[in-house]
Amino acid sequence: MGHLLQYILNGLSKGSIYALIALGLVVIYRGTAHLNFAQGEMALFATFGAWWINDHGVPLWISIALAAIFAFVGGGVIEFGLIRPAGKKSPFAVIVVTIGLFQAMNSLSGLLFENAGTGLPFGSLFPNKPDDFWRISGSTVWRYQNIGVLVTVLVITGLLFALFQKTKIGLAMRMVANNPDSAKLSGVSVSRILMLSWALSAAIGAVGGGLVAGVNTNVNLATMFGVFLLASAAATLGGLDSPLGAIVGGLSLGVVESLVQNYPKDWPASDYIGADTAVAVAFLIILVVLLVKPAGLFGSSRVERV
Amino acid sequence: MPTTRRAIRESSPLHWGIRTMGVAAIAFIAIYLASTAKPSTLGNITEACTLAIAAVGLNLLFGFNGQISIGHSTFAGLAAFTAGYTVNAWEWNPYVSLVVGLILCFLLGLALGLPALRLKGPYLALVTLAVAFVWPTIAAKFLDQKVKASTLKGTKLEPLSWTGLSVKGKDARLDKAIFLYWAAIVILVVSYVIVRNLRKSRIGRALVAVRDNETAAAVMGVNLKLTKTVTFGISAAIAGASGWITAARLATMDETTFTILSSIKYLLALFLGGAATLVGPIVGAFAYFFVDDYLKEHAPEWDWLPGPLSKGPVASFLLGVLVIAFVFVAPFGIVGFVKDQVRKVFVIAPRPLRPAPSTAEQAMPTTEEPRPADQGPETQGRVDT
Amino acid sequence: MSALLEVSGLVAGYGAVQVLQGLDLTVNEGEVAVILGANGAGKTTTMRAISGMINRSGTINFAGNDISHTPAHEIVALGIAQVPQGRGTFTDLSVEDNLRAGAYTRSGESAAGIDADMREWYDIFPRLHERRAQKAGSLSGGEQQMLAISRALMSKPRLLLCDEPSLGLAPIITQELFAILGRLNTERGLSILVVEQNANLAVQIAHSVFVLETGSIVASGTAEEIAGNDSVRKAYLGY
Repeated sequence: MGHLLQYILNGLSKGSIYALIALGLVVIYRGTAHLNFAQGEMALFATFGAWWINDHGVPLWISIALAAIFAFVGGGVIEFGLIRPAGKKSPFAVIVVTIGLFQAMNSLSGLLFENAGTGLPFGSLFPNKPDDFWRISGSTVWRYQNIGVLVTVLVITGLLFALFQKTKIGLAMRMVANNPDSAKLSGVSVSRILMLSWALSAAIGAVGGGLVAGVNTNVNLATMFGVFLLASAAATLGGLDSPLGAIVGGLSLGVVESLVQNYPKDWPASDYIGADTAVAVAFLIILVVLLVKPAGLFGSSRVERV
Repeated sequence: MPTTRRAIRESSPLHWGIRTMGVAAIAFIAIYLASTAKPSTLGNITEACTLAIAAVGLNLLFGFNGQISIGHSTFAGLAAFTAGYTVNAWEWNPYVSLVVGLILCFLLGLALGLPALRLKGPYLALVTLAVAFVWPTIAAKFLDQKVKASTLKGTKLEPLSWTGLSVKGKDARLDKAIFLYWAAIVILVVSYVIVRNLRKSRIGRALVAVRDNETAAAVMGVNLKLTKTVTFGISAAIAGASGWITAARLATMDETTFTILSSIKYLLALFLGGAATLVGPIVGAFAYFFVDDYLKEHAPEWDWLPGPLSKGPVASFLLGVLVIAFVFVAPFGIVGFVKDQVRKVFVIAPRPLRPAPSTAEQAMPTTEEPRPADQGPETQGRVDT
Repeated sequence: MSALLEVSGLVAGYGAVQVLQGLDLTVNEGEVAVILGANGAGKTTTMRAISGMINRSGTINFAGNDISHTPAHEIVALGIAQVPQGRGTFTDLSVEDNLRAGAYTRSGESAAGIDADMREWYDIFPRLHERRAQKAGSLSGGEQQMLAISRALMSKPRLLLCDEPSLGLAPIITQELFAILGRLNTERGLSILVVEQNANLAVQIAHSVFVLETGSIVASGTAEEIAGNDSVRKAYLGY
């Protein structure tokens, strides 16, 4: 029982990464009403990019920052060149494109970076040696790595909230998310805001990918599958159009995952439960929540007119 | 509107003639291949058929009923592992394991269809994504070491005696390949016929109505719950059949046999061929499989690709790009594209209505699918004028 | 009186359906112009064509600028503001944010100027001030209409386009609404182009009236002339 706090602290770290990727999904969904299935794989590609830059001697945090900038540009290009033309055809077309992108970006990472399949070593932004932790009490420790990830995500989240609520561009994004026609009539260039939504989301994803790789000390082609799944679960749980929902959903799922992974060690049924059961548990939780609130905890349901 | 198009009346002798010739041609090719092709070629076609079966099942749910599923790999996995386990651990008849697998998948599909009733578009997609992700976990955990890798390999699946094929004789390998080839084709044809008959019936109209505008469909008397959940079940069962063939085909299976990537493959194959068309999934699956196969074999030979590139996943990259390109070049898939070209030359005109007797029920003319509203995959047909 | 907005030969529609078949109209500076038309005549299409929301061909001239091919968000910056049909409120944004949204094109201005304008609208519509932190979607129809007008005027336009402002509003609110529009015109010299279906009140504040039927203007004149035209009066003014 004394381990509860420990498990929660561990869970918050992973959870904050889910929250970050979920936030990227929400930014796009709120702004464009599209779901970016390729979010994880785009982040993966950016992370490989960061690895490559780092491999050429650039300090890690600058590498990730540069990768985020390239991702920003790339995201805008993808929106302008692929998503928008597809969207003109139908929402279905956009689904197809993002699913195709999922596979294409994952494979592209495999093509451009040798040994991507087996994995490339990735450093951590925060001190990560075995004794780099803050002893809270007794046996409960909080690793600097975990604190660092959580703080990074909270800072980014704070910046995003400030962007949305306090700046003119943020207002424009909220206007477009709510009513694109009225936004146009108020002088907002909706196409620029759409590009910005994707660009921002891609940059967020790049940072998230960098954090994941740091936690795993490794980046490979399968790195983002589980993260994307849990991030999308978090976004679903919180409501696809709610940034707050993404944060709450992500952190909660991280903690739940940690608890499910660790507690049953003491239970007789422990043979059947393990690391990946957390996903199944998460899935069940989300299903239950969605049955009660089909649009997620904080999501808004739209009234349908026939 | 080009006035030089010929109109061929549906169900007219000419129409029947064309369709019969088509079927005959395919049957001829299938028989020819069975008697002359190498086991490896037969194996390839079997694999393509497997993908096609899954795509046909997925098309019923997604193309015709508008419910997206990225989790169909789980149904295939469930049936495959059911077959592997029951046959190897409990010595069941493999054909019985197929039926059991189908039933299990149907029930699981129904079960999934229930919560799906409350979920819209992206939420449903993400929940089914989770379903796909959960399967490998279950596969790894709930089947013990000895059995989880077991399949219907070798003598486990004996060809039906009347086929004259045997897995015990000196031609065992070829015989087994031929048998699997025909088994896959038969299952594919049966799945196709089931979906086609559903689509062309009153139920099919209800399916499409639900896809295009649920609320309007409900208001017009369609039982949404029943329609959507049963469709999910049938679609799952068909995907399960695909899994059974996989269990018959492979030497070993493990938790990586049926993953998210498989689900995505079904979707990409479906899009490539043309969702919401009857032959689209089949055409798409074959196209996907053989392009993939070709690229895997030949990409390493491409000298113009820089070193590491050719060793990487060129096939899956190009296929991903291909599907994206299709969205712009051939948005209704290969089948849609071909239909558009054919339409320039001739069209199938609907049967004219029979004159109405006083109050008796009129037969509804079977028209091609009307253009849907903004949701869901675009259908191919238009009401021909 | 100089012409502020000159439209000639306007053709616009949706896809294969051509709604406007060559429309001509003029709005003079400082005047209220009303377009009367039944359902399907093309009133909203006209508004959307002028404000650049749909593809159009023909000539549209605003204050000496040719805006025939200018994209919508740039037209706003030139001085045309639209209150769209159904009000187009940013339902998820607060009332105050809606007003700020209206001032979007006023860049390079100090926040003080914008704040002063907002206070002015709060004075004119006290109910907006009461509800300024509320989500705009929770306002009543009439309140949303007031908000929509304020929002449009926050951009300090020279021409205000109003698309069926009375739609869905109770008669007494509609009276208030047109009284306000009339005052905006007489007190501030705001030019207004209003599109209405049942348009007694609109004609009362109008200087010129245009009758739109199946995509083109079939009659036009001063308000008195049109009101004096029996067939128009019966068809559109109801008596």
